[in-house]
Amino acid sequence: MADEPTGKGPGLWESVTDVFPFGLAPFIILVLTVVAGLYLLAATLRQESAGPGGDLAMWTFARQHYVAYDLARPSFEKRHGARLDLQSVHGDAVTQRLRAAYWSGLDLPDVVEVEISRAGSFFRGPADHILFHELNDFLTRPDEADPNRRPLIDRIVKARLSPYTHRGRIYGLPHDVHPVMLAYRADIFEQLGIDPQSIETWDDFVAEGRRIRVPEKRYILNLDRSGVSCLELLLFQRDGMHGKPAGYFDADGELILDNVNAVEAITWYVPLVKGPGRIAASPGMFGQTFVKATLDGYTLASFCPDWKSWGFKNDMPQLSGKMKLMPLPAVVQGGRRTSTWGGTMLGMTRSCRDRELAWKLARHMYMDPQDLGSRFRELNILPPFKDAWTHPAFHEKRPYWSNQQLGTEYIKLADQVPAQYTSPFIEAAKSKLGAVLASCIADYDPRRPDRLEPTVRRRLAEAAADIRRLMKRNPF
Amino acid sequence: MSRPGERIFRLQHRYAPYLFVAPFVLLFCTFGLYPLIKSVVLSFYVTSGPRSQIFVGLDNFRFLLEDPSFHKAVVNTVVFAFCSVFLQLPLSLGLALLLNYRMLRGRNFFRLCFFSPRLVGMVFVGVLFSVIFAAPYGLLNVSLHGLFGMSLERVWLGDPDLVMPALVLTALWMFVGFNMIYFLAALQNVDRVLYEAATVDGAGAFQKFWHVTLPSIKPVAVFVVVLSTIGSFQLFELPYLMLQNGPGPDEAGLTVVMYLYQNGFITGDLGYASAIGWTLALGVLVLAVGQMRLSGTWKKEA
Amino acid sequence: MGKLLARTLLYAALLFVAALTLIPLIWLVACSFKNNADFFAYTFFPPPSRLTLEKFVGGPDVAGLFDQMPFLRLMMNSLFVAGSTVMVQLFFSSLGGFALAKYEFRGKKVIMVVMLATMMIPAQVMLAPMYELICRMRLVDTYLGLIVPGAVSVFGMFLFRQSMLQLPDELLQAGRIDGCSEFGLFWRIAVPISRPMIGAFCLIAFMGTWNSFLWPQIILHSKLHFTLPIALNQLVGLQRQDYGVLMAGTLLSILPVAVLFMILQKEFLSGLTAGAVKG
Repeated sequence: MADEPTGKGPGLWESVTDVFPFGLAPFIILVLTVVAGLYLLAATLRQESAGPGGDLAMWTFARQHYVAYDLARPSFEKRHGARLDLQSVHGDAVTQRLRAAYWSGLDLPDVVEVEISRAGSFFRGPADHILFHELNDFLTRPDEADPNRRPLIDRIVKARLSPYTHRGRIYGLPHDVHPVMLAYRADIFEQLGIDPQSIETWDDFVAEGRRIRVPEKRYILNLDRSGVSCLELLLFQRDGMHGKPAGYFDADGELILDNVNAVEAITWYVPLVKGPGRIAASPGMFGQTFVKATLDGYTLASFCPDWKSWGFKNDMPQLSGKMKLMPLPAVVQGGRRTSTWGGTMLGMTRSCRDRELAWKLARHMYMDPQDLGSRFRELNILPPFKDAWTHPAFHEKRPYWSNQQLGTEYIKLADQVPAQYTSPFIEAAKSKLGAVLASCIADYDPRRPDRLEPTVRRRLAEAAADIRRLMKRNPF
Repeated sequence: MSRPGERIFRLQHRYAPYLFVAPFVLLFCTFGLYPLIKSVVLSFYVTSGPRSQIFVGLDNFRFLLEDPSFHKAVVNTVVFAFCSVFLQLPLSLGLALLLNYRMLRGRNFFRLCFFSPRLVGMVFVGVLFSVIFAAPYGLLNVSLHGLFGMSLERVWLGDPDLVMPALVLTALWMFVGFNMIYFLAALQNVDRVLYEAATVDGAGAFQKFWHVTLPSIKPVAVFVVVLSTIGSFQLFELPYLMLQNGPGPDEAGLTVVMYLYQNGFITGDLGYASAIGWTLALGVLVLAVGQMRLSGTWKKEA
Repeated sequence: MGKLLARTLLYAALLFVAALTLIPLIWLVACSFKNNADFFAYTFFPPPSRLTLEKFVGGPDVAGLFDQMPFLRLMMNSLFVAGSTVMVQLFFSSLGGFALAKYEFRGKKVIMVVMLATMMIPAQVMLAPMYELICRMRLVDTYLGLIVPGAVSVFGMFLFRQSMLQLPDELLQAGRIDGCSEFGLFWRIAVPISRPMIGAFCLIAFMGTWNSFLWPQIILHSKLHFTLPIALNQLVGLQRQDYGVLMAGTLLSILPVAVLFMILQKEFLSGLTAGAVKG
């Protein structure tokens, strides 16, 4: 039996229960629901009605991109006399919603940004049914304004098209280059007598790491142990070594996860993070633990693609003037001094209502030199459109980074950025690489280092066999 | 109130139940039956989009049997379910026994206390414990470091061997108190007379427990076991949120439902995902029916 | 004395378990009120002078919870969706349970078997076909799109059936003789007597909807429609992980359910146990 609530006169409560016999709990919930409903009603009425969707709908998942595109929107709408419905969708939700919308054929955006690790999985299926429309035509067409100018495809950093290309068809316009450098504590390097100019290869770097190492207190490098973000970029850096590509897939879409470069990469990586000889610690690459580690000098250097450099200034203002960037040490003398981490593409869906307009939108949002310059000032992201690099914003000195010209440094490395070929099975491949890394680290015994390489080789072969079986099953 | 005519009266009585269950039936046919049937059909196809589906018959299921990731998911899920039932429930029962002590003061306080974790939804527990297990400054590492001098660097959610224990611990925290409520209620409903009779027969405490308590709470125990099993097999949100929207290192946190989600919404093969879903459903069904049959509480009467 | 020892041990054990249970929650509260520097310095609470609200409202160089998301709006969304779902579920499930308990009619067995079966099927199997359905009905990104599919509660129907089986038939007969309509029997007799069970069901259903994550994430598009779990998951993002803000958000998200439970404790617990013992 429900307790009769005190404080309400018996007459009132009884008349309430006459109308609503379910009891106190539901009554409270009903009241709350009505209150919330009224609030929402009021809020909705107060909102300016956005109007039924624009002529084009565009989704983006990164808040900063959304802010930037929203700023560029009015000029687009004015110039082309079209309305743009710009939506910000959370990262994971983009994938889910795209898929579900694709399945129901409804509610698809016209233009959507997709993250590099997810892009490949949308390229599955017979070519006519792939969610995205090919952009090869748009990229290779001659420039309307200036016939002497080379088509767009020649003015982009070519390597950045690879993650969004499948079977020769380019499905996405790359948003960025994302070269990777090492961000390091210049003040501590100086204190310890480490001269970045003299470090040219990873061997040099590791030797310095061993020299200045203080167990539990100071490590030269921050490496991720529980994810593949660091391993991946080190793997990509090896592209071309031994005459073989490096990464997950090659240009033909074949799996290369078990090739010699991958084996070498992991075999080299594991002892760096585990064991008495390690030179790296793993406090995490983001968030409070990363900040603390950098502030304390627990880890002196970490991988810094262009997009990550912004976070330093934001989270660690007290290190202004103490941080500097250096190119990655090469794997072998004279080798590549950078890699790549992350990326975003802009795709045009097959259900796009007006492709020419969408292409104009892409150009407007992605290629306007003014916008790109000011975005670079805010976020440090290097676009793949070489024409924009002449803008002065890319060559300003940054006091935070000891007056280095941030843009110039990254631009110098842009052409070395390795290609990253993709496949509909990219996510399975990434997941398997992570599993192999985790298990190799877990099983690594520093007293028996000779056991490592065969273990790595074997596990990679197994993982690759699994993925190949998956790929074979794909009838498309 | 006027009396309605006799005929209307009987009509009402005859048709009322149909009307009463009509909303349920209607909603169920639309939102239950239709998607269910559609997903059964899907499980016989390999798909990559609404217009690119290829009929493969039972091939999805055949591939399932060979798929090492699926095996991993099943193993993880079964281990978790096993721990849920055989670790959680004895603890719940034990706790209930403690609380059942007749002269206990503050019983309400304790009851409230033990129940509180259940109020925190699985989503939020996942978020909370992803931070608790974080290294090096999560609560667990800090406590272990302070109390036992253990290393601060132990990455619970980054080590393949520690992920499952972390999940099980979290589930323990969440559900032991909740299931205890059921057991407590059952214990408090055990007939005192039976205990007195047992005492007269010269039974000791343990024998009383074995021969009086356990059989009396059997219906509730079965109920809890079946519920726990079904719930454990559907585990998804907890590992998904604790492992930051992924299966964790070396797929250590991959559960069957998570694998279904990955295949359906990340890889995009809804056919394969449906096959996984149906395999799980059949497995759970068999298990649940088996459990109920075994304990003799399966009532044929509807 | 043996008895004293036993009692001490008993209380000690209970207090130990209580501590284990409460410590994560206390930590949750503590982390919500510490700034970043103190997060590492103090395990639980810093000295009172250092408590801060900056994780909620933001500070000079810290983006607080309310800066990063329209929290009140999100709370109202969750409240509205959960509340409406519970109301609808309550009405339909109790009605259906009543029919299943007190009437014999054709198809009853079928319905019961079907209900049992659906409880075993993981909802994720139906995600994509359901999404397609919701799209076709133009209910995407709407509150209805969340409420309507959730209006079916098989669990609720079972619960109410169990509880209403206990209803004495004589009472219903007397009602009929008095000229009560069948629906009136339900409304005026069955429901008031089932209040404990209703209380229990309400809380469980409310908790279930309040905490649901996957389906809302797929259905809801615009930020202004999000419920709390989705919004919080966004904070557990790739890059900017601020534990304090995360904990602050979690704390506020679980508060409504906790408060509801506090108010309805007795009803809820008695209803739950009644159902379990009979079930």
